[in-house]
Amino acid sequence: MAPIKDESHWRPLVEECFRREAGTQASIPNLAQDLIETGVLDSMGWVSFLRALESASGINDLGALLTNRAPSLESIFQVFNEAQAENSSIQAASNARHAVTGASAILVSSCAAVGSRKIPSEEIDQAFGMPPGKLRLRAGIESLAYATEEENELTLGARAAQQTLHAAACGAQELDWIIATSETHRNYPSLSARLHSQLLARETCGALDVGGACLGLLNGLAVAQGLIASGQARTIAVITSDVHSRIFQPGRVAGEFGGLFGDGATAFLLRAKNGSTPQQAYALGEFFFGCAGQYAGAIRVSDASNGNLDVHFDGESLSRAAITRMEKVILDVELRSGIARSSVQGLATHQPNPRLVTLLAKQLDLVPDKFPSVARTFGNLGSSTCGVALDAILQSAQRSQPAQRDPIFLASLGPGLVFGGGWLVPIKT
Amino acid sequence: MTKLLITEITRMGPAFCVIGLQREKDKIQSVRPVTATANSWLHFPYQRGDVLQCDLAPFSGAKPHIEDRVSTSGFEKESTVPEPEVVTYLRKAETAESLPELFGCALHENKSGSGLFAKPPEAKRSVCGTVTQNLRLEFCANELRATLALSSGEVLRDLPVVDRDWRDFIEAALAIRRGANRLARLERFLNSQFHYKVLSCPHHFIRLGLTRPYHELCWLMLDTLIPLPKQDWLEEF
Repeated sequence: MAPIKDESHWRPLVEECFRREAGTQASIPNLAQDLIETGVLDSMGWVSFLRALESASGINDLGALLTNRAPSLESIFQVFNEAQAENSSIQAASNARHAVTGASAILVSSCAAVGSRKIPSEEIDQAFGMPPGKLRLRAGIESLAYATEEENELTLGARAAQQTLHAAACGAQELDWIIATSETHRNYPSLSARLHSQLLARETCGALDVGGACLGLLNGLAVAQGLIASGQARTIAVITSDVHSRIFQPGRVAGEFGGLFGDGATAFLLRAKNGSTPQQAYALGEFFFGCAGQYAGAIRVSDASNGNLDVHFDGESLSRAAITRMEKVILDVELRSGIARSSVQGLATHQPNPRLVTLLAKQLDLVPDKFPSVARTFGNLGSSTCGVALDAILQSAQRSQPAQRDPIFLASLGPGLVFGGGWLVPIKT
Repeated sequence: MTKLLITEITRMGPAFCVIGLQREKDKIQSVRPVTATANSWLHFPYQRGDVLQCDLAPFSGAKPHIEDRVSTSGFEKESTVPEPEVVTYLRKAETAESLPELFGCALHENKSGSGLFAKPPEAKRSVCGTVTQNLRLEFCANELRATLALSSGEVLRDLPVVDRDWRDFIEAALAIRRGANRLARLERFLNSQFHYKVLSCPHHFIRLGLTRPYHELCWLMLDTLIPLPKQDWLEEF
């Protein structure tokens, strides 16, 4: 929500927007005059006038707030007054909460959508010219989720987002921001812009793409948390979507690398915490990030001049780096949150491959079940791996009693080696 | 006598505007029966899908309302066609996939507020069917508006919804006898179940129309949204 100005600021603004709609020579009607009934504006002109006011004032839901009120200037001024009062109290409450808890954003719903084609890993071995069983034996991948011809980053992301909105009974017009991340969508319009159009978000809803490859989800959640905490936004969709199967194809990249990846998307709906918190909501804790440049050479992907992908992939050193860094991040999460890792509902982490997840669980002295099985059945989904894992934990938590839900740890990393961690805490009402 | 499959019944103030499909040789085209004195009907006791017999004078209306035909007799109902079949015929009539194709002309954005309009001399027709990637309905200060994405990805915002059945459904949903929080319940429905019911319908289809010229501009409207609402949906929220 944009800052609300005082009456002396927005009265001329109302008059300017009115004259744009009714004509420059039009006189300003009486405050209580019904603009439609008296023929000053028709219903289309009334809506058009309000949309202009929404855009000019930053009160994006002015039209919705005027439902059930008379179409008059008086109603508009009343809504401005109420919005101003609400904004002040929200800001004050937000500041107070932020000072005490460090978080005012809550996660209210989520959804995952993976590629519809389930391919046994042996087929992938064969396609990449590797010995049958290599992916299963060396990496622990049993199958991969591949997109069908009709599926792409947009369709998968939109499907996940629509189901997430639906689960929260949230209209797309309520979104203040769409934050998208993908390590495979490299076209313009960007993924967030295309999702914005596909979801039919308001024109004044922002569309933002964040990078970070497999760290993208955490980057997106942290940005969303910041926007909500600062009072700039109240409702945000964070969406990941990755379709590797069109890029990492046999002939373009080696099977030991390309064969690890599948296709999928996830979406998360974040809201500013207010009085009516949904029962299943989780509060966002802190996020922290960093970049361990020493591992930058372990993986590099760039466009080659012949149109192929130039992939430098040192699997062994990348595995070592991933395990070391993830373990460190999870221990930091434990330290910062004061929550014992053994007590969490689950860990939503990046899963380069299932073998590494098993190894990580062992290093941390955790049962492997704390890590939802994502890479084993779908493959490495890039920025969506962490998302699918988080969604699986949230869905599982929904099936338990609110009092039995526990915190969730998040940890991920991407080429660079960029890394990040954070946590979610169930809201027990 | 002309056989007309009724596909559009839209609200125009207290009256109704009606459009039907007429087959001429191999072609199926939209026809708008009007009276000799008005463009709309104060009383129209028929439904979408009804096949009506009528007499229509063979001349076209002024651009872009070239579908106008003066009705010279009353209507007589002959049969009824189920909704999926109506859509089958609509797909064979005027259709488009992108914004400029809709009415055969450029569509302009209202720079001072919301809405899209066509300039009457440029528009080749006043009604067109299309499929949508996505569609939502919302209230803006008591006015029902649609925002939709065409299959081309182009987004149309704030179209007035004039479909009679959808407007009736919304009014029924807000009727006082339905108890408390009616608007909030309706908005919840529009934000959740509506999406599944409409977009997952295998014969989902819409028709867009242009208003009569108003200050020399014709504004876009959502004339028809199929599936039409079902009365029992009211029990769900």
